[in-house]
Amino acid sequence: MVSPQQHHDHVYDLKLLSVGPGHVTGSDVVHDLTGLDLAMKLHYLKAVYLFSSHAAEGLTIMNMKEPMFCWCNDYFMTCGRIKRSEPSGRPYIKCNDCGIRVVEGVCDKTLDEWIEMEDGSRWNLLVYHRVIGPELSFSPLVYLQVTWFKCGGISLGISWAHLLGDAFSVSDFVNNWGRCMATLKANGSPTVAPRSQTTVPKPQPLSAKQVNHVGDLWVIANNCKMETFSFNLTTQHLSNLIWRSIAKFREGFEPQVVTVCRKDPNHDNNILGNTQVIRSIKADFSVVESDLNKLASLIAGDQNQGRDERNMIEASVEKDNGLTDYIIYGSNLTFVNLVNAGLYEMELKGKKPRFAYYSIQGVGDEGAVLVLPGPPPQGSTVIMAADEAIW
Amino acid sequence: MPPIFTDFSASCNLKYVKLGYQYLVNHILALILVPVMVGVVVEVVRLGPEEIVNLWGSLHFDLVQVLCSSFVVIFVVTVYFMSKPRSIYLVDYSCYKPPVTCRVPFATFMEHSRLNLRNNPKSVEFQMRILERSGLGEETCLPPAIHYIPPTPTMEAARGEAELVIFSAMDSLFIKTGLKPKDIDILIVNCSLFSPTPSLSAMVINKYKLRSNIKSFNLSGMGCSAGLISIDLARDLLQVHPNSNAVVVSTEIITPNYYQGKERAMLLPNCLFRMGAAAILLSNRRSERWRAKYRLVHVVRTHKGADDKAYRCVFEEEDKEGNVGISLSKDLMAIAGDALKSNITTIGPLVLPASEQILFLLTLIGRKIFNPKWKPYIPDFKQAFEHFCIHAGGRAVIDELQKNLQLSPEHVEASRMTLHRFGNTSSSSLWYEMSYIESKGRMKRGDRVWQIAFGSGFKCNSAVWKCNRTIKTPTDGPWADCIERYPVHIPEVVKL
Repeated sequence: MVSPQQHHDHVYDLKLLSVGPGHVTGSDVVHDLTGLDLAMKLHYLKAVYLFSSHAAEGLTIMNMKEPMFCWCNDYFMTCGRIKRSEPSGRPYIKCNDCGIRVVEGVCDKTLDEWIEMEDGSRWNLLVYHRVIGPELSFSPLVYLQVTWFKCGGISLGISWAHLLGDAFSVSDFVNNWGRCMATLKANGSPTVAPRSQTTVPKPQPLSAKQVNHVGDLWVIANNCKMETFSFNLTTQHLSNLIWRSIAKFREGFEPQVVTVCRKDPNHDNNILGNTQVIRSIKADFSVVESDLNKLASLIAGDQNQGRDERNMIEASVEKDNGLTDYIIYGSNLTFVNLVNAGLYEMELKGKKPRFAYYSIQGVGDEGAVLVLPGPPPQGSTVIMAADEAIW
Repeated sequence: MPPIFTDFSASCNLKYVKLGYQYLVNHILALILVPVMVGVVVEVVRLGPEEIVNLWGSLHFDLVQVLCSSFVVIFVVTVYFMSKPRSIYLVDYSCYKPPVTCRVPFATFMEHSRLNLRNNPKSVEFQMRILERSGLGEETCLPPAIHYIPPTPTMEAARGEAELVIFSAMDSLFIKTGLKPKDIDILIVNCSLFSPTPSLSAMVINKYKLRSNIKSFNLSGMGCSAGLISIDLARDLLQVHPNSNAVVVSTEIITPNYYQGKERAMLLPNCLFRMGAAAILLSNRRSERWRAKYRLVHVVRTHKGADDKAYRCVFEEEDKEGNVGISLSKDLMAIAGDALKSNITTIGPLVLPASEQILFLLTLIGRKIFNPKWKPYIPDFKQAFEHFCIHAGGRAVIDELQKNLQLSPEHVEASRMTLHRFGNTSSSSLWYEMSYIESKGRMKRGDRVWQIAFGSGFKCNSAVWKCNRTIKTPTDGPWADCIERYPVHIPEVVKL
């Protein structure tokens, strides 16, 4: 499992181990997956937090492990594995304490050098990622990579299966770990996201698209190669610029519907699950011709624009008991607003992260844009088809 | 009367007959002496005091005779006390409790096994079947180096594990007994499979700055029964050195011995062996009599190494690919049963009450002379002991001994629960089992404990302890935070 030492690999000497709950969860504990969770199963979130050497001083993998066990006591569902129930075949999580996979690595650059590098795909080196499957019950749902930099700084890279929860849940998860490190006590057990009661037949959601059956290998089959780019520009204008640029590029096939995901106003830090608001927004005018402000008002603040499709997605998935496979991100051009996700709340030794970066692994062909908060200037991650690179 | 009722009443009658017989034979001396004493007293009372004085006067003792007789009596008494072996007391002991960060749930073990043995699904399947039936629980612990995929068993990691388990056990022992490091006269460390230079006993001496004239010993290669061999060695040394303290440390270091190949016979230990250590303080000082927990009564060692099959049944060797592992032969249980019989034959006469010995003798004579088809009489060891600590080598070992010695589930509970909570911790498992019995509040003054351990060679060693004082339920120790959950029901096959 040690990655072969190649000359150009900046991160090397990878060591893998597992960390699980300190207490026995019990022999028959399961975590059920809602329709929304199952709709997200082909997507994975990647998060990287960079900490300077002051924050990382004195940290070793051994003294990071003990708070992890304490943290996993509360987040025992992340330590479980997927199983299919009999006879429906619907996936659920068996909480068998198998653990999250922790990876240790070393980087031959300093933090400053790393941040200044231009290659957008370098973040993948800081996040150890494997898809779920083909053996569902032996695929970890969460990977945590701790990389030590030449200057003494560290990065924490998390690969998270989206079926466990959205980016806001990941942020809470990481912030709770910070609290565990500080006090060896966590916030208390996260509760599971509430289930919606869907009995009334609902129309088809625009934001979810059916894909061909993926069986037990949960990965999206893209028709074109996807690439990830990061930007440091102000958010709103960036999103609009992108929508307009793409519309220009795809002349004749303007994306008139976009999906916008943002934090649920009633979001509770203690809830783990897919609770983010998913709205699909139709632009019933030519996107290319319109001005930026009109687009901005469509995307940004106006709560009444577009429809909240969460219940519809849930209903669609539940119609055949979770057997159909869907994608959400990339079924239409998707914008995810993470500005108020609390990305800079985690603390190591009282110090906040120097930089936090989020991305999505597994995006449909239409692409996705994540809008991140950050130390100014604010950043964004854009995942687009490679041949649509317009800059 | 219906046949079932007659059977029941017949077996009841038999039980009472047996009880009556045992009481008669075991207290025969008392039963004879009491009437004799009563007779003498009655006679004395009848004679009256003057008659007794007259009787005494008529014996015509003179001074020389009196002096000689008293000299002989004093001489005999002195010789007796000088040649009596010193009493060896177990003052206290402590067991290492691994931290939760070393915990290995079944699911994690199986997942790592699949990744480490990715090209050998049959071996993985084998390990899974073993684990399902092993009797282990979800809280057993492996050292940090083994948690990596693949494991990283460096010498530094092995030393790290040794320091962690041994020093923790010893620190805990110092606190419990108030022992000062400079008061240790004898130090014996036993660890079968890890033997660095300088030895583990030297490591302990270095850490605690023990005296330069300490008598230290390091036993390696002697298997899971080495704990009792160390106790035997300590006992012999304490006979020679008066007024001394001996510390015995029993452990097994897992890190360098985790088998990394795919041979099935060698994968078994990976599934069963777990981290553990125990430190025991023994003393022959009279001042320790009052606070010692146990007194050592017997140690019986049986070695079947002269037999080739027994010698080879637990064998460390390289597999075809050069991976070193411990190969367990299929005759292991049969050989263990054989070794046990030898050991019982020696220990039986030392501990069994007269009633059992007579029955055994009679049956033996009967089988030899009258009818060889008579079933051999298995002495009832429950008459001789209140508690049994059977080395938690594996579920099969405990099942086999329970059957052979006709023990009830309560008698083997300590062994089974230790296997469940801590796994097979090799030579220290006997001490975890003792600790279980104490934690359950079952250890009373005068109780006799039988510790049995098996080990490579093939050896079967026994130790008999007598409880010196009723032991209050300990508030610390390896069982302190989980004893309320025990005993648990351990299913035949755990669904993974």
